[in-house]
Amino acid sequence: MTLPSTHLLIQTIILGLLVGGVYALMSSGLTLIFGVMRVINVAHGAFLILAAYSTYWLFQLTGLDPIISIALTAPLLFGLGWVIQRYILSRIENPERSSVIITFALAVTLEGLMGTFWKTTIRSVKPEYASEVLKFASYRFPVTRLAGFAAALLVLLILYLILQRTNLGRAIRATIQDRNAAQLVGVNVQMVSAVTFGIGIATAAAGGSLLSMIYSFNASSQTDWITRVLSVIVLGGMGSLPGAFVAAIILGVMEQLTAVVVTLYWSPIVFYLFLFLTLIFRPQGLMGEIVREKA
Amino acid sequence: MKRLLSSNGLWIGIALLALLIFPLIQRSQYYQHVMVMTMMAAVLASSWNILGGYAGYTSLGHAAFFGLGGYLVALAHNYFGWHPFVSTWFLGFVVLGVALVLGWISLRTHGSAFVVVTIAMVFIFRLVALNLSNITNGARGLTQPRPGWGGVPWSPEFIKVPFHYIMLILLCITIFASWRIRQSKFGLGLIAIREDEGKAEAVGINTMLYKVLAFGFSAYFMGVAGGIYSYFFTYIDPQFIFDVFTGVTMVLIAILGGRGTLWGPVLGAFIMEPLGNWVIGTFGGTQIHLTIFGGVLLVVMLFMPQGILPTLSDAIRQRKKAGMVKAPSP
Repeated sequence: MTLPSTHLLIQTIILGLLVGGVYALMSSGLTLIFGVMRVINVAHGAFLILAAYSTYWLFQLTGLDPIISIALTAPLLFGLGWVIQRYILSRIENPERSSVIITFALAVTLEGLMGTFWKTTIRSVKPEYASEVLKFASYRFPVTRLAGFAAALLVLLILYLILQRTNLGRAIRATIQDRNAAQLVGVNVQMVSAVTFGIGIATAAAGGSLLSMIYSFNASSQTDWITRVLSVIVLGGMGSLPGAFVAAIILGVMEQLTAVVVTLYWSPIVFYLFLFLTLIFRPQGLMGEIVREKA
Repeated sequence: MKRLLSSNGLWIGIALLALLIFPLIQRSQYYQHVMVMTMMAAVLASSWNILGGYAGYTSLGHAAFFGLGGYLVALAHNYFGWHPFVSTWFLGFVVLGVALVLGWISLRTHGSAFVVVTIAMVFIFRLVALNLSNITNGARGLTQPRPGWGGVPWSPEFIKVPFHYIMLILLCITIFASWRIRQSKFGLGLIAIREDEGKAEAVGINTMLYKVLAFGFSAYFMGVAGGIYSYFFTYIDPQFIFDVFTGVTMVLIAILGGRGTLWGPVLGAFIMEPLGNWVIGTFGGTQIHLTIFGGVLLVVMLFMPQGILPTLSDAIRQRKKAGMVKAPSP
């Protein structure tokens, strides 16, 4: 363990912030789904990888830019999410008890399908600007990460506007606050759940498209990604969007710092340790409410 | 013991006899291998059931203890020359000790949060095994010499037979322990925790102690099984042995057969494991077996959440009732 120079430290924090933005996008859907439906969607990582593969495919076949392909992958996965909620998840009688196993089963099913279709070769999308780096006051900004960060902020902004400025958003927020009361005042909770699940998966699609050019992946990477995004929403407070954003930035920076200060190989442990420690010492997370869950 | 035998004695006797003579009749290496793996799956699912079935705490991370047992046994064999068939029973207690500590930490959470913590547990173990490479040899994994006894390796035709019998012993011990727990006050306490933890605590059950003990017991048998497994394959690596899929498989098996029942996990193992081997044999190196496992789990959770055994016994009870009295009008 060696203490890095100030310059390296700031550079590392910059990279952490950029990556944190993408993490925030990836986990926003997960925390939204939990807020509305009290379902932990363990298949979120599998949807991320599914979107990453779709982006890879589009890029190989048509040369479509990964960021632009969000416009295709997001609606596609919205539809898939809507169908899954409508025909599988809405049948669960006791979501807090069995939704984790069911979504896990879904994740394993998807992983198997993706592994069968796309084999186990590790993929990554390499657009022309993949290796370009911008320099600003002697600090390096890799273009893919910068673009990923910008795209993540844009999608999050759209999500924020939908939640704050539309009737649908009001219905979603009302359902998060009190499901029964929302139903009483005329919110179609079933519909809201299906749409929220769709939106949640659509943000995963956007995150997955960005993932495909920043990281390399194959079907079994989904287990790694689900633990990362779960750690983010647990630290942020499950169901809290601002919490997820803050936690994503914290974890992104911590991950990069561990990679530099300790070694690259230990950096994933940041997520697992934060997950463990949060659940034990502050189960409600940074910005969440205490949810009394029945075991 | 008497009570266990008096109710199902005939069936247990037949099954035990069949398993005892299996390797003598069936000489095919492949089927002997599948049988060892099936009994191991039954051990894993039955011990998972102590926590996941009786106490209702769904752990997807017990593969961590399976892997820990595997590593401890392989290390003890390579460094001190301890024979795995002996050492695994003792090293299982080390696994139990680790599990008590981890259980004490992780059982502060409930419901979905607990599931998430247990998944993270597997990844932490895997990462440690990967990175402590001067002990564990990192990603290259650990290799043990070809199985044998007293310095003489077993011949290739015979090699599966000792594993068959040691796994059978472990299976019997696991089922017996699971049965003893189910019959005891401790077991009743676990079921009370599953039904309503708050009320269980209110009537004076030390819920934390009960849960941690259940966590530990279920880890012990996993650890022992992991130890035997690492010797069976003579090679383990972190990616392979600390696999979340192992954890999901045992959950699927227990849920399929009947979560919380004594024989459900055993039944589930004897259905799923041969099926899984057939799928892998038929479709080869693809990952389609993941899809089939996930699909079966999904279907079971949606349409038969209680599992095969409870569904069957309900149906039989209904039929008996229907013969005796008029079915009550709805």
